[in-house]
Formats: sequence, structure tokens, C-alpha cells
Amino acid sequence: MSTGVQHQERVPMNLKKQLALAVRNIQWSYAIFWSISTRQPGVLEWGEGYYNGDIKTRKTVQSVELNTDQLSLQRSEQLRQLYESLSAGESSPQAKRPSAALSPEDLTDTEWYYLVCMSFVFNIGQGLPGRTLSSGQPVWLCNAHCADSKVFGRSLLAKSASIQTAVCFPFSGGVVELGVTDLVFEDLSLIQRVKTLLLDDPQPIVSKRSIQVDGMNNDLACPALDPLILATKLSPILGCEQLETVSPDDSPDGLEPKQSREDSLLIEGINGGASQVQSWQFMDEEFSNCVHHSLNSSDCISQTIADHRKVVPLCRGENDNGLQDVEECNQTKLTSFDRQNDDRHFHEVLSALFKSSHPLILGPQFRNSNKESSFIRWQKNGLVKPQKERDETPQKLLKKILFLVPHMHDRGLIESPETNAVRDAAWRPEADEICGNHVLSERKRREKINERLMMLKSLVPANNKADKVSILDVTIEYLQTLERRVAELESCRKSEARTKIERTSDNYGNNKTNNGKKSSLSKRKAYDVVDEADQEIGYVASKDGSTDKVTLSMNNKELLIEFKCPWREGILLEVMDALSILNLDCHSVQSSTTEGILSLTIKSKYKGSSVAKAGPIEQALQRIASKC
Amino acid sequence: MENSTQESHLRSDNSVTYESAYTVYAMALSSTPSSTNINHQRIALGSFLEDYTNRVDIISFDPETLSFKTHPKLAFDHPYPPTKLMFQPNRKSASSSSSCSDLLASTGDFLRLWEVRESSIEPVTVLNNSKTSEFCAPLTSFDWNDVEPKRIGTSSIDTTCTIWDIEKCVVETQLIAHDKEVYDIAWGEARVFASVSADGSVRIFDLRDKEHSTIIYESPQPDTPLLRLAWNKQDLKYMATIQMDSNKVVILDIRSPTTPVAELERHHASVNAIAWAPQSCKHICSAGDDTQALIWELPTVAGPNGIDPLCVYSAGYEINQLQWSAAQPDWIAIAFSNKLQLLKV
Repeated sequence: MSTGVQHQERVPMNLKKQLALAVRNIQWSYAIFWSISTRQPGVLEWGEGYYNGDIKTRKTVQSVELNTDQLSLQRSEQLRQLYESLSAGESSPQAKRPSAALSPEDLTDTEWYYLVCMSFVFNIGQGLPGRTLSSGQPVWLCNAHCADSKVFGRSLLAKSASIQTAVCFPFSGGVVELGVTDLVFEDLSLIQRVKTLLLDDPQPIVSKRSIQVDGMNNDLACPALDPLILATKLSPILGCEQLETVSPDDSPDGLEPKQSREDSLLIEGINGGASQVQSWQFMDEEFSNCVHHSLNSSDCISQTIADHRKVVPLCRGENDNGLQDVEECNQTKLTSFDRQNDDRHFHEVLSALFKSSHPLILGPQFRNSNKESSFIRWQKNGLVKPQKERDETPQKLLKKILFLVPHMHDRGLIESPETNAVRDAAWRPEADEICGNHVLSERKRREKINERLMMLKSLVPANNKADKVSILDVTIEYLQTLERRVAELESCRKSEARTKIERTSDNYGNNKTNNGKKSSLSKRKAYDVVDEADQEIGYVASKDGSTDKVTLSMNNKELLIEFKCPWREGILLEVMDALSILNLDCHSVQSSTTEGILSLTIKSKYKGSSVAKAGPIEQALQRIASKC
Repeated sequence: MENSTQESHLRSDNSVTYESAYTVYAMALSSTPSSTNINHQRIALGSFLEDYTNRVDIISFDPETLSFKTHPKLAFDHPYPPTKLMFQPNRKSASSSSSCSDLLASTGDFLRLWEVRESSIEPVTVLNNSKTSEFCAPLTSFDWNDVEPKRIGTSSIDTTCTIWDIEKCVVETQLIAHDKEVYDIAWGEARVFASVSADGSVRIFDLRDKEHSTIIYESPQPDTPLLRLAWNKQDLKYMATIQMDSNKVVILDIRSPTTPVAELERHHASVNAIAWAPQSCKHICSAGDDTQALIWELPTVAGPNGIDPLCVYSAGYEINQLQWSAAQPDWIAIAFSNKLQLLKV
């Protein structure tokens, strides 16, 4: 009894407050003061602590409103009480269980870590606090959760609690340990600051026993609790601390991580050599069972503790309680081995049942034991999903394979699926998005083509049909027609140049002089008057308005005479006589009389080989015309 | 949540990655062990280049050393991207014979068969159904019947499905399967297959009765195409399909048409590929644009909030392809951008 009290004596009450201040100031998660045990020389054990980390539930038993400082202090107190209630296993069954204000399922991982730390004991020179004390130098540990267990024995614990940084420095005969869930790089000034804060309110290190006891007994339902019992129920662990604590989760899946960690922990525990497996796992089992059955009362816990109190190990290497403890220790060890065997056995049972040892089939229980899997367990809240901007099409590659690629084979062109999407307008927008530039250029090209075809249609006369093929056909025909005409006209021009056209005007006297002009005039006029319908080549018609006119044109031995004169009786006979004298054989005569003017068109051929000159023919006709 | 990120960092060592020179889409795992080493797994990768020249490469994977080995000679050109690649399932590799060749089928414009030997790939046949012109309707997908290995069913954009007898290299039958383009086809057993199409329906066909087909599911919004189909080969009651632009994997029980058994809706973006587990009848894996591959276990009774996946893997890119081969039930192959990754289950 005295030892327990003495142990408490060395730690001043205000140290707690100072720790609280310090850790709050630097905003770290917890602060622990490891003090040299009075019961066991050369051993560091839990002195005082303050928890400043995440809290899961705020189970306020008191009705009194407290401010944040007091609440936090109370929290740390409650954690301490919980620890003590849990470790109180050896008291007689009749004794009332101390019902702590907190129950294990209220705790976050970090709180559990803090709580389990209370059970730790370090030899001087061993463990982080031990080494700090022996060296007298501060130790700053980054990535505590990944640290080697030889360096930082509680690294696995820290991993579960996400404690990433742990710092120890010697202080007033003990070691102050600070920890935080963030990664903080070494900063000696921080240590200095904490030291200053701790020394800020120096008070004589004289314990007030009553206060201590009261502090501990706060909120206990059973005031008769002997602090000594509690103290002696601390289960120290010597050597390497290779424990892992598990926190009961709210989800029923909480079973799984516990057991898996338990598996790993057991294995490591056995490998740990001198370490003795603590009973936490058993308690945690029960807690998890409680959680699983969603019982939240502390009574449940107490009952289970009562059931398993035998199992609580109080194995100490060297202590004076004698054989009893050793037996218990052995018992614990055995049961722990059994537990591990149980799991393996169950694993085998499942494998035999399902005829497979594949982790998928065996169920989520053994999932995490398969450390090699690339997959990780699904979390309700999900992993932090990449906040990538989803402006691209969904299922882009899949759509391309299904929609685009088949059409690539279509005539070897990368045509847009738009042309084939007339039936399925639903996914047209996606197709557009996929094709992008192709669609636009294709569409433009088609529009241009259609436009030009319309123009063609309008140029070609007599085109009724509107489809592209017909438009093209009609245009081809029209083009060919035009080409023929152009060819004809061109050859007509040539033959005109060959043919001599002579004309006589009514003004006979001026014949010679005018002839040239007139003939050229007539020629010019002849070209102006080319009638399309008349395909007679070499046909020259004069539209001169004067009477008494003779026009001769020659074509292939055929003479064409056009003659106008005032009509009189018998004139036609005279013309015929004159022509026959000139050896002309008339085979076609057209005559008409209008307004007293006779118009004669005579086609004649030469009789024989002699060719009458144009001159005498004209003269003869003129003579006839002028006779009257 | 911090725990999970830590774990995933640790576990990324367990996935094996192969980086290809081009974007990969089509992928196939061989069911025949490689002749050189009985444990090696052959994988065929088809490129996706929007060009005429595309390539199919064969690489082999060693599960013990977790490494890939490329075979430069085992490659061939393919006109336009191959839409699907598949090795012949359950190919009896004659252990006595030295030449242990594998048969690989590819679809694109035609169904082509290739013989994969130790140091070369020889084209076997080009199966072309069109009698009139060289132009044949391009194929979107195909499935190799594992009960009857000489039978391959292909799906095409001309709304038909063609069943080929590849030993005789003739068409067994050609059915007009849907009103619109058929996007995927899957064999149930020797004479029964199912197909999905742009008209949004899943239909089952029996070769014994070609006149009739059964619609077992239609997408709720009419005319929303169903893009992929997977039939659970371990438990033929169940099929899975994915809709266009949907993040749901629809699980169907063929005994109760039109109503899906479950809709797995935990992807954050649309799903690209699905594959049933080859060793268990209850597990399915899906991968999508949210860069995640999820493994689900189908319970007998679903909870009120829907079914949660068992586990998840984040790739970092949109995952386009997923293959879970019976030859390697411990490994899931995924493809994203130009990488192939093998994940240990």
C-alpha cells in the first residue's frame, strides 16, 4: 500500500496541469511523464499524463458544465480510471467493479494508445524513455509508426493510433514524452519551449496524498476501492514491448482488424523473447464481442472482466508475489497460444469447408492476413477519390472501340459515325464529342458539295430533277451539246472566209466602188444574222432594203441567186431565158410578189463544165430588172 | 482513413506493371502455360491507335519473380485497333509434344485466328462471312465457347451475331440478334449465348431454337445502349452488364427476367469493364473511369443501402480493361492508358 502511495507522492499534482499546458500550447496529442518507479529501482513507469488528442465520444457523466480545459483534464482522468478499472482483475469476484465513466468503445485509437502506454514499464537504457534517461539527451523520433520495434517498442501501437512523432527528454528525474499524430521534424526549440512551460509553475514536489487518492477515486462508483490494488494490478512488461492495441470500432467489421492484428501480434509476441503477452487481447476480444452485440453498458465489460479475470496476466519478471503470479503468467501464455491456434484452426476449418484457401472465399475475416494483396479493404467513406475534372466523355475508350473503330473499316475512311447515327440519335452527341474535328470538316465538305451541285442545276436549263445523279447527267448532256455547237460555229466561220460573197447594190453606177464596201457590209451583216436553226453552210442572206438587187452566192457548183425587182408581166420568163443562155440549169425557183416587188430565189447548177462568171449573170439580171 | 492510405502505399508493391509503347485496350490472358516455363503466363496486348497500323504484342509474366518478359518476335500487325483478343480456353497442351502452340483470336474487321508458337506467330485464318464483296460488317466483340472450343460467337454492328465453326472455318449460323448494333456476346454453355446491344436489351439465344430469343433485361431508359456483358461461368444463373454512361453494374438472374438482382453502385464514375471471378461464384470485379477496381461479393440478401464492395484498388488512371483469368485466379489484369497491371487478389 505504501509503495503505491509513495509512487504517487513523487508526482506533483501540478505536473499534470503543466503537462496539459505544455501539450496544448504546442498542440500535440499527448504528454506522458515517466518517472522512476519507487517499487522497482531502475525502472521507468507511468507517472503522469495528459491526453490532448482526438476524442470520439463525449460521455459526460457529470451535470456540471466544465470548460474545455477542465473537460480535457477530466478526459485524461477518465482514461486513467478506465485503465485502472481494466487492470483491476485480481480483486475478488464479490468486489464491485469500478464503473468508469468511459467504456472502451468510446475511445479513439489514439486514446487507446495513450491508455495502453500506462501499462508500459521501461528499464533504464531500454526503450525510448529508458534511453533518454540514460543518455540524458532528448530523443526525437519521426515516423514513429514506422519505426523498428527495437528503436521504438510501441511503434505498432503508434501505427494504430497514427502517432507519427514522439519526443522524449529528461526532466526532473524522469522523462517527459510527447507525441503527435502529425509528422513534425526535429525542432529543439520546441523541446526548450516545453521545458520552459513545464517549469513555469514550480511547486515543491511534495505529494498530497489525499489529493492523489481523491483524484483517482473520482467518479468511481465504489469508493471502497483500494488504490493499492489498482496499483499492483498494473501489468508491467519488460523487455521489448510488442503490443498492439485494438480499438473497438462501431462497424461490425471491427472484428476483423482486431483478429488480424492479434494474429500478427501473437506471432511477434512469441518472437519477442522475454516479452510476455498481455491480456489486452483477451479483453479486447470481449470488448469486441460486446461491440458486436452492440452492448454498450459498462456492466457488460465488468462482467466479461469478471469472467476473464483469471486471464489477466500479472506476469512480472521479478516480483515478490511469488509463484501465484508465475502460474498466472504461464496460464496466460498458454491461453494466448491457444488463441493463436484457435485462429489457425478456424482458418483450416474454413478452408476445408470451402475447399479453397483463397482469401476471397474465406471471407473478410482473413482478408488482411493476406498481406500480399494489391487490394485494400473497402471503407464506408471511401478513399479520397481523385478530384479530377470530368470534362472528358465517360467510357471514352470503350465508346471509341464500339462506335468509332468499326466504322474505321468502312471503306478505309475514318468517317464520323454521324452519317450512320441517323437511327440512333441517342448517342449522337457523344459521337460528336469523340470525333471532334472530323465531324466538322466532314460536314463542311458535304455542304460545299451540295451547294455547288445546286448551282450547276440552276445553270443548266430544263432540269427538273433535284437528285445529285440527275443533276450531273443533265449537266453532262448540256456540256456536250454546247461543245458541238461551238465546234459547228467555228467551222462555219472558216467556211465563210472561203466563200466569196458579192453583192450588187441598186445603185448600178456605183457598183464597182460600192461593191467592195457592200460586199464587206453584206458579209458582216451575214454573220450577224446567222440563224441557229438554219444549218446551211455558206448561206448568206442579205437584208438590204433596196429594190433591184441581185445577190449571188456560190456553193459547190450550185449557184444561189436572189433577185428583187419591180414586177411586170413576163419578167419571170425573161429571167429564166437569161439564165439558160448563161448555161445555168435552174432546178429550184422560189418567187413571191409583195407590194409590186418580185422576190426570186433561184438555185441553179452549171450546165457542163463552163462556169459563168458572176459578172455577166448580174449584168443580165440587171438589164431585165431595169427594162420597164 | 489515414490507415488506408498507408496501407495502399505499402501494398502497391504487390502489383506488377508493364508499360507499353502505345495505349492498350484489348487484352487476353492465355489459359495454356507457356512452353518455356510452366508457370509463365502469356498475355496478349492490343494497341489502340486511331490509325490503320495497330499492333498486338505478346508478353509473358512470371508470378514468382513478379516480372514481365517481352518477346519481340511474338507480335503482329492488325488493321485498326483490335476490338477484342482472346486465347483459346482450356486448350489441351500436349505435354509430350515440343511445340506448344496457343491459338489467339482477334476481332476488328474480321475474325482472325493466329497460332502463337514459341518464337513466331502465324496467321491461321481470316474468317469472312460476306459472300458478295470484300466488305464485311465489322465486329465489336466475340466470345470463345469454353465447353465447345471450336465454336466462336461474334457480334457485329450490322445487328447480327455469327457463330463460327473454326475447325472447318465455316459459319455455323448467323442470327439477326437485335434491332441495333450488337456490342457484346457471351456464351453460357455449349449452345446458349447472350448478347447486348445498342437497343438496350440483353437477349439469350439457343442454337437449338434459332427462331426465338428471350429478352431478360432492358435498360430502364429506353434505347440506352448496354455496352458490356459478362456471364458467370461458375454459376450460370447470373450475368452482369453495364450501361452506357452509368456507374452501376447490373447483376441479372436469368431466371427472373426484367428485374435485376442487384445494382452495384459504388463507382464514382462510369464503369468500363467487368469480370466474374473464375474460382468463386459470388465474386465479381469491376473497373471504371473513377480509376478504381472494386471486388464485390454478392450476398444472398442485400442490405438496405445497397451492396458494398469487399475491397478496392486505385490505379491513378481510368481503367479501360479488366481480365480475370481462370489460369491465374490470384491475379487480376487491368489496363489503363498505356500500362498493363497485374494485381494480386
